[in-house]
Amino acid sequence: MTHSLHREGTRDSLLHDYCVFIYPARGFNYKGSQARVRRNVEILYGVGPDNMCETTLRKNLYSEVTPEQVLDSISKGTEGTRVFSTFSSREKIKELLIGLKQADQGISIMVSGLIDQVREIAAEVGLNPHTINLSLGIHGNTKRLPPADIRQFTTMCGHAVVSPRLVRDAIRKVKRGKTSCWQASVDLARPCACGIHNPHRSVELLRTTVPTYTVTRW
Amino acid sequence: MIIRQDLCVGCGRCQPFCPVGAISFAGLKSTVDQVTCLECGTCLRVAICPVDAIEEHPQVYEFPRAMRKFFSDPTSTHEATGIQGRGTEESKTNDATGRVGPDEVGIAIEVGRPTLGMTLVDVQKISRALARNGITEIEACNPIHSMYANPQTGDLREDMLNERVLSAIIEIAVPFEKARLVLRTAKEVAKEVDGVFVLDIFSTLMPNLTIQPRILKLLEEEGLPWRPNAKINMGLGRATD
Repeated sequence: MTHSLHREGTRDSLLHDYCVFIYPARGFNYKGSQARVRRNVEILYGVGPDNMCETTLRKNLYSEVTPEQVLDSISKGTEGTRVFSTFSSREKIKELLIGLKQADQGISIMVSGLIDQVREIAAEVGLNPHTINLSLGIHGNTKRLPPADIRQFTTMCGHAVVSPRLVRDAIRKVKRGKTSCWQASVDLARPCACGIHNPHRSVELLRTTVPTYTVTRW
Repeated sequence: MIIRQDLCVGCGRCQPFCPVGAISFAGLKSTVDQVTCLECGTCLRVAICPVDAIEEHPQVYEFPRAMRKFFSDPTSTHEATGIQGRGTEESKTNDATGRVGPDEVGIAIEVGRPTLGMTLVDVQKISRALARNGITEIEACNPIHSMYANPQTGDLREDMLNERVLSAIIEIAVPFEKARLVLRTAKEVAKEVDGVFVLDIFSTLMPNLTIQPRILKLLEEEGLPWRPNAKINMGLGRATD
């Protein structure tokens, strides 16, 4: 899956949007990976993600699941649990990578974010990244796509299960005063089964997007 | 997915959650257009229905409708079809697996993304174009690989072609010298498909997160700008099994 690769938005917006994956490799470090993944997740919780989900419970940070339940599910789950998370803060990413480097569990760690920022952070932490995956954009019948301002929200779920209509619905509800930007953002994060829809970024996007829309149905 | 008409109270709360707009009012109640529905399960997973009227389609685990679920529901495994996942670990574990070495590149054609989904007829247009140009290095552990009826022609199994999926990933690992051909083929076939796909390339890095200059030169020559954000394997994984 490359579902954190194609997040759209302005550079200023993407400056506050990072994804971190903890990813055991099938056939290479799966055996007994539960304890090592758990240790990495403990470090992750210590730093404080803006959203997260793992493949055992599949419950994101806003679904009333406790860290203890998540850690317990990783320990008792099958080997190979993968963990997905998002952060808005560069400093938190740095703190997390320092912790993960020191813990040295041998599990692959992916960071999605602006290349120059990740390069700086890696240098500051003393990491030497191994592989890069570059997005070369959208091809085909792009006229059918929703507009770019809506895609800023929908591409935060790379599996495309955050619907453009849900984004428009959120805009409409905020505009009508039926909900807050924060609650609308948490609602937008609900369909994302990987927990990489970043509600903190979504709040900022709503604040800038809502004034540009006219509500036609009251 | 289906919405039980005997239970639905017509509140419409489920409708905005459908990624492809398959849920609408039929009279006073919500109903699912079975042609449009991709069986991603989002409407059920978000538990938005106040009366639990949303249920899985009775044939959702039977071929060929199961194709929709296994390529559209991120939480599903491919048990019914024997097909594993949409993609593989690709760049995410390359530090531990060494799957793509310094003289190779991985290229992924992520059909249907973002948002629109794609018919398998469109997927076949891509697989045929790749085969026509002699690109047969399709990742074997990828579900697309097991959908091929004839890898030499790129033909997919005919009994699947009426289905639609939210996303599927054609993964290709080739020597650097062949990457240009793959990228050109993708650009060409983009003119033929009715849907969309996102294209991406991955390679190993030089020290200090320096992208191989020949990769950047290739992308510039092919008129393929890369986004400023990327997915980066931080080099903390290792093989221990």
